[in-house]
This record gives sequence, structure tokens and C-alpha cells, in this order.
Amino acid sequence: MKKVDLVYTRLRTEERMIADALRGRGCAVELHADSGLVLSLDRERWRDGAPVLMRSMSFTRARYLASILEVKGSRVLNSAHAISTCGDKALTTLALAARDIPMPWAFLGFEEESCVAEIDRRGYPSVTKPVLGSWGRMVARMDGRSAAEGLMSMRFEMGGAQDHVALVQQYIDKPGYDLRVYVMGRAVGGIRRRSEHWITNTARGAIPERYEVPASHARLAERAAEAVGGDILAVDLLETRDGRVLVNEINHCVEFARSIEVSGIPLPELMADYVLGVLP
Amino acid sequence: MHPQKQLDTVGVNECPTCAAPMDGTNLMEGEVVTCKGCSAELEVVSLTPLRFEEAPEVEEDWGE
Repeated sequence: MKKVDLVYTRLRTEERMIADALRGRGCAVELHADSGLVLSLDRERWRDGAPVLMRSMSFTRARYLASILEVKGSRVLNSAHAISTCGDKALTTLALAARDIPMPWAFLGFEEESCVAEIDRRGYPSVTKPVLGSWGRMVARMDGRSAAEGLMSMRFEMGGAQDHVALVQQYIDKPGYDLRVYVMGRAVGGIRRRSEHWITNTARGAIPERYEVPASHARLAERAAEAVGGDILAVDLLETRDGRVLVNEINHCVEFARSIEVSGIPLPELMADYVLGVLP
Repeated sequence: MHPQKQLDTVGVNECPTCAAPMDGTNLMEGEVVTCKGCSAELEVVSLTPLRFEEAPEVEEDWGE
């Protein structure tokens, strides 16, 4: 019998629906809470070596678990490399840059004054976000030098050494929404996320809408997914008011509970089909 | 963590936060559900008997 190991942090609507879709296709699903996993650091096979669907919503746990399981010979979706790249916005941006994929300009800095000077040089507004962050938390727009000074001061005064990295990105004046394209080898659909706030994250209250993905957007999202080497990804696109489309971020643990009813895209079933497609 | 009383009727228990009745139909162990009474996120820690606990706090690196 076909079998998949599904690793989760919380058994949310998403994980439940994916597990149900796999089981509905005659595939056994073994569920593993990441909090309970203690894995030896060696090449010894984990359990029966079945493919692992990594649905840990913790970036730290997902990255380490995927890395360990790959050394043990498991096929992990998404791969440790894809998780490491997508979970770090600086590395995501670099992967996109390496493939010349259109994106907002961005820079990385490690010291307050030099970062403020560079923001000044590039102009306002601009955006700063933590390299490791989620759900739009601590993403901030800098409308002028005072805001830049304050935010850079906080960036470098608080936290530990790993937090003292400033990612600054071009602010894109969006037409009230951004776009998300789901990619599983190919683009399978998308949603538009509309908000009066400039942060268009459904975790922050943006409203999902139906979005028929045009071929040009699909191809752009597929190129972005290839750049980070992922299997099942959500590629966030920003559309400028003059019609250009830029890749903003890529997510490796795709959430869809807030959008699936509106989008009509059967993501759990598509994910199950994709996972079963990699089974030996 | 709050102690839970165990009910004789399998399939029904209450929210550990607001005591609203919780229906256990079609739930899985480990599943996170939202209490309709107080919107608390609750984890199903046992099905027989049905028991809920407050779901673990969201950590800084959770989410997409």
C-alpha cells in the first residue's frame, strides 16, 4: 500500500484536508507532530523510508527535520534546500536574482547608519522586513528618514546577532491587491488578495478573491519556483500600477484555509496527486 | 493547562477556556479547532474520552 509520512506542527484545516485527500486516493498517511520527533543524526533510515510531506509550520523545525530526513534517504517535500531558501527572505531574493527574475529591488545591511544612508540614497517609501518572519509580522514601511532611523535603530538594538540583519526592499504601489500563484511543478491556480492596507496578507485580514492566472503570470511563478527548487509552493506576485509583475516572496508551507472556498482551487487534492506522483 | 472533567458521554466535552460545549464528531487526535464560544484555539488531545487543551502558543517562526 502506498504510504506518506506527514509532519505537522498543528493539525490545522490544511493538514487535515491534505491527509483526507491522500487517504481518499488509497494512500496511508502517518501523522507525526514535529514537537514529538527526536531524530538521530546519522544515515539510518527513518521508519520505512516513505516520502515525507513536511507540513511543519515552524521554519526552524521544518528546515532541520527536512535536512535530517534527507540524509536518512527520505524524499522530503518540500526539500531542505527549498525550505531553507524560501524561509529566509534574503536567500529567496538572491535565488530570484540569480535567475534574473523580476522583483522589487532589495538590499541587505548589517549596521544602522550604513543602512539608513543607503535607504536615503534609494529613496522613500521603502519597506523593511525581517529575513526570517511570517504572516507579515514586523514588515514596516518607511515613508521618510525619521521612520528609517527609528526602524533601523530597533533592528540593530533588539534581539541577538541573528536578528541584526536589515532587509530593505522597494515599496511597490500596488493597485489594492497582490497575487498568489500555486505551483506544483506547474502553476495550478491562484488567488488575488485584496486589502485597503498595503500589507496584503490573508493572515492580516486581506480578502481572497478568484483570480484566473494568465499564462505570463503562470510562467513567472514557475520560473520563481524553479529558482528555489521547491515542489509545492505559493509564489506571491506584486503588480505595479503600470502593469509590471514582480515576484515578492515564495512560501514553502502553503496555507489555504482562508482562501479555498473562494478560490475554488482543490489544493488538497492537487497536493495529494503531486505527492503520489513522486512515490516509487 | 486546566484539569478537565471527563464526561460519560463520549463525543461531547467543553472548552477548557470558556466551558462552551464542544462536539467531537469527525475530529482527529492532534487536530486544532476553534471554540465557537470564545474563539480559543484548542487541540484535541484525546478522543476517548474527548479532551481538549489550549493549543500551543504560536511561535515567532511559525507560518508562511
